[in-house]
Amino acid sequence: MIDGVVRIAENEWEVPCGYLPGMRVPGRFFLSESLGRILEPGALQQLANVATLPGIVKHALAMPDIHWGYGFPIGGVAAFSLEDGVISPGGVGFDINCGVRLLTTPVSLQDISSRKKDLIDQLFHVVPTGVGAKSSQKLPTHALDEMMIKGARWAVENGYGNERDLVRCEEAGGMKGASIKTVSAKARQRGIPQGGTLGSGNHFLELQVVREIFDPVAAGAFGLQEGQVCCMIHCGSRGLGHQVCTDHLKLLEAATKKYQIKLPDRQLACAPISSPEGRDYFSAMASSANYAWANRQLITHAVREVMEKMFSIGYDEMPLVYDVAHNVAKIEEHHVDGKRMQVCVHRKGATRAFGPGSVDLPLELSTIGQPVIIPGSMGTSSYVLCGTTTAMEKTFGSTCHGAGRVMSRSQAKKRLSGKEVAANLAKEGILVRAPHENAIADEAPDVYKPSDEVVRVVHDAGISRLVARLVPIGVIKG
Amino acid sequence: MSFTELSHTADVKIQARAPTLEALFSDAFQALMQVMYGNDRKEGTRREFTLHADNHESLLVDFLSEVLFISEVDGLVFSHADITISRDELHAILYGEAFDPLRHAGGTEVKGISYSGLIISHDTNGYMLDILLDV
Repeated sequence: MIDGVVRIAENEWEVPCGYLPGMRVPGRFFLSESLGRILEPGALQQLANVATLPGIVKHALAMPDIHWGYGFPIGGVAAFSLEDGVISPGGVGFDINCGVRLLTTPVSLQDISSRKKDLIDQLFHVVPTGVGAKSSQKLPTHALDEMMIKGARWAVENGYGNERDLVRCEEAGGMKGASIKTVSAKARQRGIPQGGTLGSGNHFLELQVVREIFDPVAAGAFGLQEGQVCCMIHCGSRGLGHQVCTDHLKLLEAATKKYQIKLPDRQLACAPISSPEGRDYFSAMASSANYAWANRQLITHAVREVMEKMFSIGYDEMPLVYDVAHNVAKIEEHHVDGKRMQVCVHRKGATRAFGPGSVDLPLELSTIGQPVIIPGSMGTSSYVLCGTTTAMEKTFGSTCHGAGRVMSRSQAKKRLSGKEVAANLAKEGILVRAPHENAIADEAPDVYKPSDEVVRVVHDAGISRLVARLVPIGVIKG
Repeated sequence: MSFTELSHTADVKIQARAPTLEALFSDAFQALMQVMYGNDRKEGTRREFTLHADNHESLLVDFLSEVLFISEVDGLVFSHADITISRDELHAILYGEAFDPLRHAGGTEVKGISYSGLIISHDTNGYMLDILLDV
């Protein structure tokens, strides 16, 4: 482990105040010893930077998929007092509400095996993917406004889903506090042609099979059965969210000076949550998050239509397990030093993992906990976990969001060709489609930490509990 | 044109060195276009804009963010840029062509231009830059 870090439990480590000048609280992160060997000093420094921000409460936190990002480390979580705390786009990222959802189907691998290639091809055809991809449908301006205010509800009201989908989304697929006035004309221009597109980079649509159930009660409540084919969708707020982050970063840079906030990294530009600049960023971020939920709902609809036609199954026979945001800041109530208090929780590359009894859980899951969806990489398992009381106590109800990269994109391209990666995966029965082979090399399985190890750590640390393991059978890469 | 892609686990870190500030900005622009669309980029159409910012780092972030915006909304892929910088003002003329999926789909979308680790410095040999693109 990196010098200066103190072990406080089997998988829990502390970065003490004083590790960097100006830290207001200690940093805490969750990591096994083996994952600790690949922890980058840059990521740890970013965690310590977060601890210097005004109004931070308890700890600056990082999940076991911690890695070097910009502003917050990826895997970073921090909560700020509403009275004297700040809000920062550096704690959310450019891809606001980049998130993941899991859709179940009533079919098994055997039911689809003879038509698997055709299925992947059809999904690739209906979901615009990769650099420069535009939506096949032209959204009118008022539809964009409604997407930003209502989120997934806009999609459901317009025939792209059902009411039950909303119950199975974090925040019911739409954050309160969105305001279209805070979203620039530029952001809107980028948002209009991209509704229902997947994007590129680490975004994907993956067909999976439930291979193992660890917790039959929770799996039953989530609607998961062994052998069932599922579809995982990972994407975000596209150019609209990216532009909102760019625009407000500039505004908050000026606010940082205005409120005389001293920062170790310009990307952590911030303003008091209660200031006009802070409130405007929150509203614009919520608008982008809602656009992202509507976007994932549009993709879900496209997937269901393909499945309906190909396998004669009903639209409502493909319910959502859950939809979670990875990059977002939200006002939540948590226990801090024995008191309930409202805080602004930033999660950047981290997943909300609310335990049993929490608000915002659908009634049927209130005794179980919130479903947590952890994608693996193309060749490795993805996991469904469940939020816990320990997460509520230790991490403001948060856990990891994925496997976490270990190899840069430039290294990946030098080492592996997309064709080789695709051929190797095909031998394992995993079909890959992408607009270009580079997208496959960039996101090959071994550029990520082993997802098994990352979820083992969050399970052992108690900040979420294993429910099911899914294996990939077909992937569409952005 | 000279820039190097440095190792960064999640994103794309670019390092450049150039004799003038304009050439340095042009290198960063080329790096952005190469990451997004690869090397096969031709000219034919042009776009022009002027920006103001009170320091070189902000000027560069604003410039690249504007290129990103125009490229995305107008569906254009740029091959080169004529850049003039005087004090707090940047004037750019971009030359490019329409996005062609057959030639330009091999890159990665850039989500934003980050201030984290952004350094512009200069010595007697010219200007140096480290910049991180979020992909």
